[in-house]
Amino acid sequence: MSASTAATAAPASSTSFVFPSTYNFPAFFTPQPNSTTRQSQLRKWSSLIQSWCRHHRIYRLSIIEAIDSPLFHNATLRKRLDLAEARTIVDWMAKKEEEGGGGQRAEWIEGPSANSGAKSKNLAWIWWRRPDEWADVLVDWIDATGQRGVVLTVFELVQGEATVSQGRCSVLRFDYVFTQICQANSRGLEFHGMDHDVMMKALNVLVKRGKASVFGNEGEEGVKIF
Amino acid sequence: MSRRGVGLGTFANRTQASQSFATHGANLRSTHLASLQTQLSVFQSLLHTFALEHSSTIKSNPTFRAEFARMCNTIGVDPLAASNVKGKNGRRGVGEGGSFWTQIMGGDMNDFYFEVAVRVVELCRDTRDENGGLIGVEECQKRVRKGKAIGSGLEVSEYALLGWKRNCNHQVHTDTFRRDDILRAVKSLEPLGSGFSIVHVGSKKYIRSIPKELNTDQATVLEVIQVLGYVSVSMLKLNLNWEKARAQTVIDDLLADGLVWLDAQGPENEYWSPQNLLDDSG
Repeated sequence: MSASTAATAAPASSTSFVFPSTYNFPAFFTPQPNSTTRQSQLRKWSSLIQSWCRHHRIYRLSIIEAIDSPLFHNATLRKRLDLAEARTIVDWMAKKEEEGGGGQRAEWIEGPSANSGAKSKNLAWIWWRRPDEWADVLVDWIDATGQRGVVLTVFELVQGEATVSQGRCSVLRFDYVFTQICQANSRGLEFHGMDHDVMMKALNVLVKRGKASVFGNEGEEGVKIF
Repeated sequence: MSRRGVGLGTFANRTQASQSFATHGANLRSTHLASLQTQLSVFQSLLHTFALEHSSTIKSNPTFRAEFARMCNTIGVDPLAASNVKGKNGRRGVGEGGSFWTQIMGGDMNDFYFEVAVRVVELCRDTRDENGGLIGVEECQKRVRKGKAIGSGLEVSEYALLGWKRNCNHQVHTDTFRRDDILRAVKSLEPLGSGFSIVHVGSKKYIRSIPKELNTDQATVLEVIQVLGYVSVSMLKLNLNWEKARAQTVIDDLLADGLVWLDAQGPENEYWSPQNLLDDSG
């Protein structure tokens, strides 16, 4: 509903996260001095962070909280990522691919609500799907369900019945992408229960593309995709 | 042509013969070709019968495939070279001129090695950043078997693998790829001058995709890593009686080439081989 409830939620998943074997490689937790190796390391971290967040449905990641979580702390190996290194990785993820970064897979959230002062680099969006990719997912779903031109509320999109059940898939046109989406997430569509802000970002992408219009007040927006 | 002489007269004959080559070149070439063709067809029919008889075994049994390939090698037939002919003839239509491989196996055999070679190259290229262009044949085999190339290649390879499995009517045995197949595939890349080569370190074979020599010290250190998983300067000092400077230099070189990764979180810097990284899709 409101942005804050969606943001703090990091729902426990039915299955536990399977770490890649990289995670059990002790040297993975030390910044590599060789630049080529370093690039490879950053790519691996980026993909690990993304799949971790995807698995746990995390949209905004708090670095300070995550630093002690299994993501950055391998208790078995007794290796951990330090805060500076975690920030460097997110920095790298946030950069465009052309600039030698990770292709905008993260974005720092600078807000007064975050810790004030020096520790501004704490909260970051982790774009395991970027807003433009979310927009594509949305359009695919709208197409598959024949809802072009239908007015939907954002609440419906994020929390509604239609996006929750997998059974719904069988009724729909089975295009490749869509089946994938359904299979990827047994709890429903991938954007079900999505962070409200991310949904708005995705919708704004569509608005910019001229493919949607958003109206209504903050918190009770309606949307029409055409 | 010319008289056949014996003894010293042969010398005269030979000069005559070489002159005749100039004048009757075309004529000779055709006789030559005809006799070669007879030989080839006899040989081919033999190989054909053999391969036909055993084609299913060749395709499904890796040991047998290796033996068969070795036999072809001994008599100077390169299964991969033979398969090159396939492409050319394929365009002309499948006739007698087509590669017998194509006729017998429907191209599966050639495709088999090509497929492997392509995937080896793909894997080496994709992992070059993480392992400095040195990849264990065993690890490579595991990966190619999984048909799981990193990143963009993933779906394509998986499709290819599926298709290949279907074509060959393979039981999906885990041992269908053998190290032999990988080595053969790498060898088939040699004419391309792409710098792919097989390097021996200790008891293990590696595929080197960056043309650079390892010196003895580097090879020794890699061998130690093979056994222990990682090395540190003091370990080298203790076990090999190396000076600190020597140990440090070798390690720094390996690090610079991207062949080892640094772990600075222990009491002493440890250097790990990235070979074990391979079984994840990164």
